[in-house]
Amino acid sequence: MDGLISFFASHHAIRAETVLKRNGLAARLIPGPKELSPNCGVALRFEYAQRENVSAILAAKSVRIDGIHFYRPRTDDWN
Amino acid sequence: MPIYFDNAATSWPKPPAVRAALDEYFSDAGGNPGRSGHQMSIAAARLVENSREALAQMFNAEDPSRIVFTHNATHALNLAIYGLVRPGDHVVTTSMEHNSVMRPLRHLETTGVYVTMVPCRPDGTLDVSRLNDAMRPGTRLVVTTHGSNVVGTLMPIEAIAVLARDRNINYLVDASQTAGAISIDVQKTGIDLMAFSGHKGLVGPTGTGGLYIRDGVMLSPLLRGGTGSDSAHETQPQFLPDMLESGTLNVAGIAGLGAGVRYLQEIGIEAVTEHGRKLVSKFVAGLHEIPGINVYGPTDVSKQCGVVSFNISDAVPSEVGLLLDEHFGIMARTGLHCAPAAHHTIGTFPAGTVRFSFSWFNTLAEIETSLEALGKIAGWACKNEVKTWMA
Repeated sequence: MDGLISFFASHHAIRAETVLKRNGLAARLIPGPKELSPNCGVALRFEYAQRENVSAILAAKSVRIDGIHFYRPRTDDWN
Repeated sequence: MPIYFDNAATSWPKPPAVRAALDEYFSDAGGNPGRSGHQMSIAAARLVENSREALAQMFNAEDPSRIVFTHNATHALNLAIYGLVRPGDHVVTTSMEHNSVMRPLRHLETTGVYVTMVPCRPDGTLDVSRLNDAMRPGTRLVVTTHGSNVVGTLMPIEAIAVLARDRNINYLVDASQTAGAISIDVQKTGIDLMAFSGHKGLVGPTGTGGLYIRDGVMLSPLLRGGTGSDSAHETQPQFLPDMLESGTLNVAGIAGLGAGVRYLQEIGIEAVTEHGRKLVSKFVAGLHEIPGINVYGPTDVSKQCGVVSFNISDAVPSEVGLLLDEHFGIMARTGLHCAPAAHHTIGTFPAGTVRFSFSWFNTLAEIETSLEALGKIAGWACKNEVKTWMA
């Protein structure tokens, strides 16, 4: 997954994960990288190509987001 | 089994007796304490009062009525601060406080309260003379943490209590990180108010906390309402604990908290403290041997509670947290830990730190496992430059 959504509060982060998974989209919560947003302890990884779809789905469900970022951390290469 | 090093957020695991106490409330006691005279109400009241007594004994309060139950330490701190401070008053605090102290104070500033934040040293220690210099006529309250939730630094609460008492200023201690982990005698120390969390060192369930209030200190309540007492009157009772405990208590949680306190008393708080210091010493010594790791906080383990903050110089805290979680099953917290001024003090704002925090249930073997993991992560971080943050 190469996209990341940051949030203002974990309420919205957990809601976003639930909503995206219910819509059959890949989503995974991770510790929020402070470089991207200082606002919340958790962030949600997703497929960046789906960003317009994801924005629309989250807005329709009243999930507030801080920002959407292209993000593929080097920790993906850990072995 | 995960390795749980996030006990400063909430402790895990809880002793079996804590879980049994919750079950006992739900299966047997069941009633609403103090509301009705029937045996199930009385049984519930007995659970609450047993817990109150155990806490009063642990902290050596004058009597159990000086302990009031709250939802958490934040609630207790708000109760103490808003219950005492009025517009025009002056409050002294330090740069190591959690937002559960700073946010109420910053809010009160907008209502005409004056706040002085005394800067601490980069290791989080306080120069008591600076705190002394900050007190002035009109200072109503001094509030400090007992143990920093970022670096574990212990504040000299006895010395601060003497200064405050000499000037007739109330002293509120935030014991969120130390209650149950380090022995506190409120009367001997001479503190006026002490807020504590029930679900950290005291190993009770979340949703529990409390405030100790010295005999003679008067607080106005945050909430007014039913107490089961003095029911003929539509004004709030003026006696403790009822005055500050409106609404049905978290009886199950409080019963669990009491079981946690009794569990710790059987072990002995000194033994718990000693165990914590062994874990911190081994961990900090191991961190110093790993190239590229910076450790923050005091260098004297006797001036530290079971909280350690560090960074890996070639990695950001959230990366370290992610790798620890996903590849090693180690639960730690990263970031600012709700204490921005503390990070300004130790020089880690805005990125924050990786924080490990220990409990009675952690082992030296877990410390060894985590040091190995951190060694691998530090080695990996310096070989792989950060290249993929944003496009």
